[in-house]
Amino acid sequence: MGEQSGKFLLCSHYILIFAWAQNAWDMLSDEQSQKHITTGSGDLNDILGGGIHCKEVTEIGGVPGVGKTQLGIQLAINVQIPVEYGGLGGKAVYIDTEGSFMVERVYQIAEGCIRDILEHFPHSHEKSSSGQKQLQPEHFLADIYYFRICSYTEQIAVINYLEKFLGEHKDVRIVVIDSVTFHFRQDFEDLALRTRVLSGLSLKLMKIAKTYNLAVVLLNQVTTKFTEGSFQLTLALGDSWSHSCTNRLILYWNGNERYAHLDKSPSLPVASAPYAVTGKGIRDALHTNLREVDATEQATTVFLYLNVWHILHSQIEKQLQGGQLPIGMDNS
Amino acid sequence: MTGRMTNRVPDWIGGRDDPWPWHIYPVNRRVGQGAPIKHALELIANASKLPADGSKPDSERNPNPLGGELTGDASAGAEGPLCRFLVLLQPARAPPGEPSPSPPLLSRHQALPRLSPPRPTPLRRLPAASVTEIAGESATGKTQLCLQLALLAPQSPLSASSLFLHSDLPFPLHRLRRLAPKILDHVLVAAAHSPTDLLSLLARAQRLLANPGRSPHRLPIRLILLDSIASLFRADFDASPADLRRRSALFFQISAKLKELAYRHQCVVVVTNQVVDVVERDAGNTVAWSSGRSVSPALGITWANCVNTRLFLTREVDGDGASGSARRRMKVAFAPHLPERSCEFVIRRDGIFGVEPAER
Repeated sequence: MGEQSGKFLLCSHYILIFAWAQNAWDMLSDEQSQKHITTGSGDLNDILGGGIHCKEVTEIGGVPGVGKTQLGIQLAINVQIPVEYGGLGGKAVYIDTEGSFMVERVYQIAEGCIRDILEHFPHSHEKSSSGQKQLQPEHFLADIYYFRICSYTEQIAVINYLEKFLGEHKDVRIVVIDSVTFHFRQDFEDLALRTRVLSGLSLKLMKIAKTYNLAVVLLNQVTTKFTEGSFQLTLALGDSWSHSCTNRLILYWNGNERYAHLDKSPSLPVASAPYAVTGKGIRDALHTNLREVDATEQATTVFLYLNVWHILHSQIEKQLQGGQLPIGMDNS
Repeated sequence: MTGRMTNRVPDWIGGRDDPWPWHIYPVNRRVGQGAPIKHALELIANASKLPADGSKPDSERNPNPLGGELTGDASAGAEGPLCRFLVLLQPARAPPGEPSPSPPLLSRHQALPRLSPPRPTPLRRLPAASVTEIAGESATGKTQLCLQLALLAPQSPLSASSLFLHSDLPFPLHRLRRLAPKILDHVLVAAAHSPTDLLSLLARAQRLLANPGRSPHRLPIRLILLDSIASLFRADFDASPADLRRRSALFFQISAKLKELAYRHQCVVVVTNQVVDVVERDAGNTVAWSSGRSVSPALGITWANCVNTRLFLTREVDGDGASGSARRRMKVAFAPHLPERSCEFVIRRDGIFGVEPAER
């Protein structure tokens, strides 16, 4: 009897373990079904493996003026692209510590995004159901939850509150923190305390990303560090903060062009790609002859695709008129 | 001289419970009456003995509610504690301006319109709730621009008084006078001598902004100008790592305080900065070409992280020597809402005006 009950207990233990442990196969399919948030620039999406990943913390750093806030705003808009156009259809939380969030610019970027959607999906205005999000810039703006914080205590408070907030607003898919280190660069008497607070914040953010299946994007500043006898540019609070993120993207100037360098990633190789900040937001950099050829090739491809679709469509119509069901098509 | 100065505040000034304890300086509006320019000391002395003289307060002496004379030749300004005292005569009786109704999208950003057209659109407005930095060599027009903004603020849709914190002593009074032919009483002036001084000034400014309702005639302060953040940090800091760290910490404290004031009270904050020569290009900071050399704003990349918008004023001398005219350009180094563009401007006696590009 003891043996039987012993075996039973062992079996129940095994069942319990299997109940909460996840199969690696399941994890792989989870990852593949995970959507990415497009950055607006094809090159940038390529080096990021499709875009900013959900369930991960991405840190983006760069010198002032290179486009960190622009990228942050672009992501907050792009996450709202409806599902039928290839986006996530979610909302965004934008935590602003520096005051760089200009509503006029967000409006401009939202308009640019909508214009691009309508260009790529020219028949979208035909199908408009009541549940679908209206493609208006005001709706995009309304779905960004904006927090403005003025001190490091407020920053800690907001991140603590975020869990409760996200529990109530389940459709938030990205949290952008503009300059997560700005308020921590003031005079802290106890540096060990600062390190503890920062690592506490980063753990919370990682937990939020995993629990609520959203992307956390942290924008960081650069500073000069005296290493190896010369001053070099590094990300601010690098020593206490560098372990906190899953991915790291560094934005820098190369001559007159902006480049992004993927510095740290669990699965992708280190790579660089150019991008541009236009009136519509972050887009591909357009320069060299090579890029122009690619653009025309892409245009031709799209044109051909549309034409083929048109041909198919007319063939299908003919078949329908003839009373036959087109092969391979159902009635939807 | 010092014997004639008293600390007693005449009763027609704001009074002891005026939240702004420094006396505020009015600008002479009586153009054509040829009021003589007096030394600052004399004016203060005169003001303190005015009631005893039996002369009436200025409101009765002339129809302008702001009497008073502008003194203080900038070059003759005295050093030390006198610079904190600029006498207020009576506050203006201008009706408190109402902010013009702005579209709801822009209600957070009641922008301060720039001076006179023509000027290309992107540079026309300075946003509220953010810190704008104007960097340039000396004599490129930074202080002039600040003074002009201060004088335009009451008449713009912002409809506000301005707070002018200066660290380059003395305050340029005669330039202000030349720019302002009309009654303007809305410039509050205070001097900062060191970074800690500036922080305490900002704390007092916060209290002042939080309780605006003392004098019903004065417009609320919505414009804060800081002339030369760089000159605050010239002294007291060596190049040792510890001092650099202390300096950086102060940058962030000052910037956080300015941004908080800007956000909570929807102010436009403008900070001026000087330039340094740049030797290697790769510092990450803005580099521009001005007066035949590569310059970069002072205080390095740390301060560049603390401002939201940076405007760079450059000067190119065409021709040679004194016969060449200076071409002045204002360039947007970085801004969250503006593309990188530049435009040309001129400084004239009556202000700074933009120049329409000739052929486009």
